This record gives sequence, C-alpha cells and structure tokens, in this order.
Amino acid sequence: MNMESSDLQASHDFFEHWLKAYEATCGRIIDMPILGPSREGADKLRKNFEATINMHAAWAQSLANYQSAFMEASQKTQEEVEKRIAGGVSPSSYKGYYDLWMETYSKTFKEFLKSRFFASDLARLTSNSMDFQKSSRVLIEENFLRPANLPTRTELDDLSKEVYLLKKQVKELVRGQGKSATRK
Amino acid sequence: MFRIVTTMEFTELIENNKKAMRMLDLLLKAPEISVGMTPSEVVYTQDDMRLLHYIPVVKKPYPVPVLIVYALVNRYYILDLQPDKSVVKKLLDDGLDVYIIDWGYPSGIDRYLTIDDYVNEYIDNAVEKIRELSGAEKVSLFGVCQGGTFSVMYSSLHPEKIQNLATMVTPVDFDTDEGLLHVWAKSLDADRIVDAYGIVPGNLLNTGFLLTDPFRVLIDKYVIFLEKIESNGDDEDSGRKNEEAVKNFLRMEKWIFDSPDQAGEMYRQFIKDCYQKNLLIKNEMMLDGKRVDLKNITMPLLNVMGEYDHLVPIAASKPLNDAVASTDKEVMVFPTGHIGMFVGGKSQRDVCPKISSWLRARSGDQNS
Repeated sequence: MNMESSDLQASHDFFEHWLKAYEATCGRIIDMPILGPSREGADKLRKNFEATINMHAAWAQSLANYQSAFMEASQKTQEEVEKRIAGGVSPSSYKGYYDLWMETYSKTFKEFLKSRFFASDLARLTSNSMDFQKSSRVLIEENFLRPANLPTRTELDDLSKEVYLLKKQVKELVRGQGKSATRK
Repeated sequence: MFRIVTTMEFTELIENNKKAMRMLDLLLKAPEISVGMTPSEVVYTQDDMRLLHYIPVVKKPYPVPVLIVYALVNRYYILDLQPDKSVVKKLLDDGLDVYIIDWGYPSGIDRYLTIDDYVNEYIDNAVEKIRELSGAEKVSLFGVCQGGTFSVMYSSLHPEKIQNLATMVTPVDFDTDEGLLHVWAKSLDADRIVDAYGIVPGNLLNTGFLLTDPFRVLIDKYVIFLEKIESNGDDEDSGRKNEEAVKNFLRMEKWIFDSPDQAGEMYRQFIKDCYQKNLLIKNEMMLDGKRVDLKNITMPLLNVMGEYDHLVPIAASKPLNDAVASTDKEVMVFPTGHIGMFVGGKSQRDVCPKISSWLRARSGDQNS
C-alpha cells in the first residue's frame, strides 16, 4: 500500500473544499473584529471557535484516512478469502476466518501507520487538539474563573515554577554549605 | 463465501458462547490481584520518587548492589509482576542486592522537572543512598527502556559511581524508522503538547502505544484470553487454571493502563533532544550545562534487546556498544518483544538467568 500517493486524495480534496467554503462564508464573520465592552471576552470565544473548527477538520480528515485504510484491509481480506476458496483451502471455521481477518488487517494497518503520511496527519491532529485544549483553558480562565475570583491553572503553573526554582536554589545552597564544611 | 461445515460451525459457536459465559462468570467473581509482591522496604524518598530495597534472600548478597531504573512511562512493578514472572525475584534468588526506583505519579507541581532533575538529582540521590546503606563504593545500574536511556546519561556523567551498566530495551539512537514511535515522534510538536497540558497525560501516551499495533492489543489480546478459558468441566483443576488465567490477565491489564502522567519539561526535552535531534548518540546531549559524552562510559556494559521489539527496535539500542569506551561489553538479543522481556516465558527461562549471571560475574566475591 502506498500511503504517500494519491490513494486518499479524494478525502483530502473534500476537506480542502469544505474549509475553503467555510473560510469564504461563516469563517469571515467569525474573523470579524469585535467591538464594545465585551470585546476581550468575546475575542477569546472567537479564537476558541476557530480552534474548534480546526480540530474538527483535522479529526474528520483523520477519520477519513482511517476509513480508507479499513476499506483497503476489507478488500484485501476478501481477495485472500477468494484466493483460498479457489485453491480449495478456504477457512473452515469462524476462528480460521478471524485469524485471516486479524492477519490482513494488522498487516495493512501496519503499513498505513508506518507511512510518513500518517505521521504528519497524526501530528496535525495532535497540534490542532492541543490548540483547542489551550484555547479552551484560556476561555474558561478569562470568562469564568477570574470573574468568579477562583484560582486558575495559569496561576498554579506560575506557583509551581516558583516552587521548582526555589527548590533548586535550596539544593544548591545546601550543596555549597556541604562543600564549605568539607573545606573547613 | 468461505466454506464452513455446518456441524463444525454450530459446535464452534456453542463452544465460544460457553467460554464467553464462563469468562463472564470468572470476571464477576474475579479475585483481588496483587502486583510487586516481593518484600521490600522504602529506604529513601524525594518528592514523588521512592527508593525500594528488596529484602535479600541470601545471608550474604554480592557486595556490589544493583539499582534498577525503570521508565517514567508505566510502572516499575512490571519487573516484579507476580512471583513466577519476576525479574527482581530472580536477581534476589541469585544472591544480588537489589534496589529499584519507583518514580510515582507526577502532578501539576512537577511540570518543570527536566531530564537533568531525573538524572542528576533523583538517580544520583538514589545512588548516594545505596552507597551509604551498603557501604559499596560503586553500584551496578540496570536501566530498562527509558530508564536505560537515563542510566546511560547518568553513567556518562558519574562514571566513578558505577561498577557495571546493564541496559534492557533501551533507546539511544533515535534516528531510525524501524519503530513506529520513532517515525511519529519526528513530526510531533512537543511544545504545543506541553504548553497545552503542562503535565502530559499518561493516557495520551498510552493511546500512542496502543496505536502501534491496534488490532493485536485492542482485539486479539482479548480473543486469546477467551481461548485460554476452559469451558468444560467444573473440576478443581479447571477452576484453578481459569482463576490463574484471569489473575495473570488482570495483572497485565492493570500494568498496561496504569500510566503515570509525564513531567512536561522532561517530555519536551526527551522528544526534542532525543527523538528529533538524536543528540545522545552524537554526544551532543546537554544536561545542566554538562555534555553527555558516551565515551565516558568505560565500565562493563551489557546491552539487552528484543528481536521483535516494536517499541524500541534493535536499531535504536545496538549502537550504544560502539559509542562507549568500555572494553568489557556485550550485546544480548532474545527472540521476544518489548514486554516479553519482563514477563514472557523466555524472560524467566533465558533473559533473567543471563543478565543475573553477567551481573554476578562483575559484582565482587559473594563470600568476601
């Protein structure tokens, strides 16, 4: 199976068209600058919406790619069964068929998962999911936690960093004391 | 359509149904499972990390203690999963004095820990504690998987404290396309992951491991488990075999899905410096301003790997032997996979005895 080639072009093209159409219509409204007192909060909401769209687009594309690999694996299984029937050695039990199915699917997916195409698709999906995760956090912190006077993850991270750096300093000081005690 | 003989078809269906019902029944009555049962005591703690000392089973263990360093991903007790599948027990039975690091479960406050902290703080403090407790000048480091990578770094930076270095399924040369993790990691944006999560969820990494062979680990594993269940006979022997099969399976299930989260900065550095820039094997890895030069490794080296390891392929481990300056160095390749190294039949039969024998030959005189 050559995952680098145009096997999955149709699904790519579909999502490219969908994204272009979205960007030319609804996407333009979403991108419009927000005016007024609620501008900052609404702007974060807009960015989160954009991250959501990107994540779903990447997710949908990944699903389409998996679907293509499933289709290919099913086709190969069917071909193998036909070949075996023609040779008079078709599976004679459900287990025999299962073993054939497992072997063919595992092999086909191994090729698919090993392709550079899959690696870049996985990286894109992960990155888009992370952007969504980060943007959701910002949105929740700014629009809900801060107004409610509750601690945020960003503040906790700042504290964690402070503690980490202080611990390092303490260790260095203790080490320094040990060294000077040894010298004495 | 494929050919299935009708009578066989029904027999097979009935048999499978009986097994499924029996399995359901066994799971409903599933006994409590225990892991890591070899007696030990906690001799040192620092933050989430604990240093365990296994109670020696011989009067006079070998004078050079062994420190096992496991990966941060998943838990150390895979090396002591159950008494008849325990690397730790085998080493103890052979008279070695064994310690292990339990990394614990990092939480939000640990997100800024770097590889330097793990290597030059936690491992170093564990080594110091062992030297203090045992009176030994040097210890043997036995690093497993990512723990092996850290052990290699440590041995390069603190060679004066290490008597022997044994590595098992340890990646050091990350620039290979033989393992899927190596292929995927090259394109991964670690900055985005760490910036989004801080502490990288263990489940996220586990999804990646499951994806390396999805049909085998998400479907076939359970089918094989079902096949092991004896559906016929309610006699004591069948009942005992079934109970053992369930317990063994549940222990592995527990271990596989017991995935600690990862300190973000460590993860970022491991992906970028190791998987993407491959700095370690090039002697360009920097920890706390110090270069990790593999030529500093002059102590005896044993490098153990699995022929069918799909997570750490041989190509990622083997180059270590050429990169170090040790004269006493050995490669052992066993016909098994990554997990099979610790818990498979070959582990107890072939892998453990050979590692133990190698360590014992270099751990001083037991009777001295």
